[in-house]
Amino acid sequence: MKFILTKIFFFLLIVSVTQAQELKLPSNPLDGRIVFEEKGCIQCHAIGGYGGTVAPDLAKDQYYGSFLELASIIWNHIPEMNRKFRELKMERPTFTGKEMLDLIYFIYYLRYLGEPGSVSNGKKLLTEKGCINCHKVSGKGGDIAPDFADLGEYSSPLFMAQAMWNHGPSMLETMKELNLKYPEISGDEINDISAYIRQASALTSVDIRMSPGNPANGKKLFRKKGCVNCHSVGGEGKKTGPNLSELDLNESVTDIAAQMWNHSPAMIDYMKEEKIKYPMFEGNEMADLIAYLYFIGFEDEPGDPVKGRMVFEEKGCVSCHENGGVGPDLSKIKPFDSRIQILQRMWNHAPRMEDLLLIRNNEWPELSKEEMQNLYAYLISIIQKK
Amino acid sequence: MEIKRRDFLKLLGSATGAVAVGTYGCHEIIDVPERLIELAKKGPGIETWKNTICGQCPAGCGIKIRLIDGIPVYLKGNPNYPVNRGGMCPSGHSALEVLFNPDRVKEPVKRIGLPGSGKWEKVGWEEALKIISGKLKELRNAGKTNQVAFINGSAQPGLMDKHISQFMKAFGSPNYFKLPSISNKTVPYKLMQGLDQIPSYDLLNTKYILSFGSNFLEEGYSPVYYTKIYSHLRELTGGGRAKLIQIDARMSLTAANADLWVPVKPGTYGALALGIAYVLIREELYDKEFVNKYSFGFNDWVDKKGMTHLGFKSNVISNYYPEQVSKITGVPAETILQIARDLGNNKPAVVLGDEGVVDNTNGTFSQMAVYSLNALLGNFEKDGGVYFVDDPPLADLPEVNEDEIAAKGNRQTPVAKSTDTDYPLTDFSIDAFTNNVLNDKPYPISVLFLYKGNPLFQSINHRDFSEALKKIPLVVSFDPFVTETSEYADLILPDHTFLEKWDEFYNTPSVGFAHVGIQQPIIDPLYNTKNTADVILELSNLIGQSVATALPFESYEKEIRFSTEKLYSSGEGAIITEGVKSSWLEYLQQRGWQIGRYNSFEEFWELLVKQGGWWNPIRTKKDYKDIFKTPSGKFEFYSQYFERVINKLIEKIGGESPENREKVLHSLNIMARGDKVFLPHHEPVPIDESMPLYLVTYKLLTNRDGQASNQPLMQEMFGYTVHEHWNTWAEINPETAQEYKIENDQFVWVESAIGSIKVRARLNPGIMKEVVAVPFGLGHTSYGRYAKGYGVNPYSILKSKYDMINGNQALQATKVKISSAT
Repeated sequence: MKFILTKIFFFLLIVSVTQAQELKLPSNPLDGRIVFEEKGCIQCHAIGGYGGTVAPDLAKDQYYGSFLELASIIWNHIPEMNRKFRELKMERPTFTGKEMLDLIYFIYYLRYLGEPGSVSNGKKLLTEKGCINCHKVSGKGGDIAPDFADLGEYSSPLFMAQAMWNHGPSMLETMKELNLKYPEISGDEINDISAYIRQASALTSVDIRMSPGNPANGKKLFRKKGCVNCHSVGGEGKKTGPNLSELDLNESVTDIAAQMWNHSPAMIDYMKEEKIKYPMFEGNEMADLIAYLYFIGFEDEPGDPVKGRMVFEEKGCVSCHENGGVGPDLSKIKPFDSRIQILQRMWNHAPRMEDLLLIRNNEWPELSKEEMQNLYAYLISIIQKK
Repeated sequence: MEIKRRDFLKLLGSATGAVAVGTYGCHEIIDVPERLIELAKKGPGIETWKNTICGQCPAGCGIKIRLIDGIPVYLKGNPNYPVNRGGMCPSGHSALEVLFNPDRVKEPVKRIGLPGSGKWEKVGWEEALKIISGKLKELRNAGKTNQVAFINGSAQPGLMDKHISQFMKAFGSPNYFKLPSISNKTVPYKLMQGLDQIPSYDLLNTKYILSFGSNFLEEGYSPVYYTKIYSHLRELTGGGRAKLIQIDARMSLTAANADLWVPVKPGTYGALALGIAYVLIREELYDKEFVNKYSFGFNDWVDKKGMTHLGFKSNVISNYYPEQVSKITGVPAETILQIARDLGNNKPAVVLGDEGVVDNTNGTFSQMAVYSLNALLGNFEKDGGVYFVDDPPLADLPEVNEDEIAAKGNRQTPVAKSTDTDYPLTDFSIDAFTNNVLNDKPYPISVLFLYKGNPLFQSINHRDFSEALKKIPLVVSFDPFVTETSEYADLILPDHTFLEKWDEFYNTPSVGFAHVGIQQPIIDPLYNTKNTADVILELSNLIGQSVATALPFESYEKEIRFSTEKLYSSGEGAIITEGVKSSWLEYLQQRGWQIGRYNSFEEFWELLVKQGGWWNPIRTKKDYKDIFKTPSGKFEFYSQYFERVINKLIEKIGGESPENREKVLHSLNIMARGDKVFLPHHEPVPIDESMPLYLVTYKLLTNRDGQASNQPLMQEMFGYTVHEHWNTWAEINPETAQEYKIENDQFVWVESAIGSIKVRARLNPGIMKEVVAVPFGLGHTSYGRYAKGYGVNPYSILKSKYDMINGNQALQATKVKISSAT
């Protein structure tokens, strides 16, 4: 018996590990906005003030966590959502696997998009950070570095971050010569300074903006630009630089850009010493690369299928899904094309389950992130093993 | 071939559910080329969809065409196109009957008989263009380029307008006109606000809509756009649901859908608006801050010479109190009081005015009166109020380098400009044009191009206009059909139908956001026709010199691409796709993102064509200084601009004197005197008192400009509200009918001072007792087998009257009598 259990344990573990990388990186996580609107999520939830007020605004600068953490949040508030649907006489949406995945990518992505900058704060920062000593804006400032007016038509803060990154080595050199302190900066500060530059140099009607980053392309750039030669992600890549999976990159695009900027002096010095070519970015590249970095956190740690089995039992799934219960026997259902289908089916069958629980005087089985990861690993193992 | 309605229904019945390619019994209704029928029979049956822009009316709705093996078989609204959001009017649904119409002009033809005789012979494109370019070159060599005129009958803003304008400027003629002209309708806004633009109204955020004769659900610039908004407003419940009050002489489609219909005598809308203004002022329901800070001429004022002038307030208080207004308009004083109180106490409230108001001799002043209510409510650039949409960032065509000949021609007075003092603010008056052509004033017209429209059918003075056409030595029509107007052409160079051609449209007037629609060919041309825009390019090249360099494009398609390159580079707005709503665009824009991702212009262009258009729903609120371009820089209740125009006219006829002033005002049909002339006021409409009833004409959704008369489906649906098909009728109030001993459905004569029409009577309590209403659209004497001989054209009995300020036809200024015709 012990042997069989051990065998099952290892089998489950192998399956879960092999399945862990299955979800592909999205090319355009904003596609989920269509699902968000068409399925009526927007009737209750707003994005940055646009949408309903019944449920929380999803763009309140919040990181919801990895794929399964997001799934657990959604799962846990299903009963409350269902009550609202009934109260507001709204049809409860159901999802296809793709729709569910698009929606989750979209919600995950919202924080990446960042927040608008403050013009007044940007003006103050230019002085505080010493930018004005070298750069000119609105005709005032130094002559050493390029005039900020040249950036006026670029209204994405990331253009400024990209320009800063690209001229980092020459700037660092000049600052060393002039004995100036290298200015560290935060993501919000990038937004504020960019907003001020845009307003102060409002001479042009041209408004050039970046497209929100493409994580799939960002992954390619991570290799192409040579980042992988120093940094590792999920165990892949060299470890000269920090392991990016261990960093907190669940921030907005400019926050991540700021982290890159702040670590660039050390990086520049190291690269110079090692005669490594400094990576430059153009067009939408920085947005794409950062989108990839942001999506590192989307992947979950592999769950433990054995613990998942325990969750399956403790949360009462067993009573319906095994031993001739009212729900389908999960070991007998067809394997899924994509893992997202498990979540999709969990969502779609929730109303029936809710009714049954109510009739039987049972509570809704809330799942923590870890429980969801483990349960997920277990479910994958029994469904996909066929 | 003549087809009777019974035959049509029989055929239509047998064809239900079948593909519309003429193979299932439809062949007698539509004309499908044999090669397509063969393809339909033998093809693999592959389905594709293409997006384009509907060309049935100027609204410019986005449509999706279903093709089987490349043959269009069905169409529906493009759900992503922001103007119509998947909606479509009946007319749009019959678009395939335009493409496969059996009466299309299939190749260039030359008239061989007398004008109107209907005798034509084939002429090749090469020969036709040789004739025209020969004549144009001859005129250029003689320095008489101004003798060429071009009338564009499309009211749809778009690249074609710029294209023709560019050609005419480079050629050297100031005679490019549009009929109907939107800029004529903008005159009231020009006088009070200094802008040549039709405003948009934020109906979605308003609580109270007061509509003066604006039948926006049927006759508006884009009925589908308004219907979508209206549906949304009606979905809301409780406090969120806006009220719609419709003031109209007849219960139009909009009135029938309103919360309240207020009948009003034709030609008195302005008086009613001022009666409402009276209550707003007396009960202090107006926006005092706006009026005090940002308006001019509300109160009495003193000019630089120390002369005191009458203000809007004094004029309204003295002359437009409800009892007085009730006598003019027929609207009970209590109703005026109630509407005004509701308007002032349900903010944001917005006031619209259109057809009923503007299509009369006093249209300009009446519309000023209506618009002044928006000023009293302080509605400009406010949520739920009035605003103006920016043009999309399309590239301008290259600057025209006029040569000497062109410069000389362009300096001449346009032929549609009155040589007297009439129509001082007119962009184009068909009355002035007709009279001037007939009298060679200020010079003869040698060549006339006619693109779209059918002026002879759509204008009220048919006889004179046809005489004018006869007088012009070379008339060239680009119509794909022989219409009443093109019967008088010497050459017809048939255009493609809109399903076979490229075009670019933008900003349908009054639609509340910047947008661009791309019309693409969804099928290769069925016949030997050409896109008129390409014909103009060919003519430019044949003329050569600076005319050719002004339009340096290989094809019109390339010109459209050129135009949209700036749309791409601007980074503004987005190509229409699913889920691109204003909120997303605004959310992303605030954070410095653009929604689309195009690595090159080619990628952008392909997606633009595929999706059908672009839009920018984000609108930055404008400062008042940017929307009040008046001499005072404020909203002018007292129009100083109009005062200057009148003074200039007086100068023109010999300088200031009471006689000259009287002469000018008299020529403009202005009865008011003194400062009232420059204030919104009620001008009595000169009517024939011997006739007892007002004749009101209106347009139906099924056949707005009479253009859909050659489509059997639209003929079948023509009078969908009264179940009248392929025929015209007259709506008469039952009490009026009783007085004249007329019964429902019997034939009656409707007789004006200039003629009579015989129509079937439809008794309808939804019309004022003093009014007879006849729909426009039928009564063609040409335009193919489905149009010719069906119904009557009410314009044929309208008196030749115009708004003498802006040149609009006075369609509601004729009185008639009725009598039994059985």
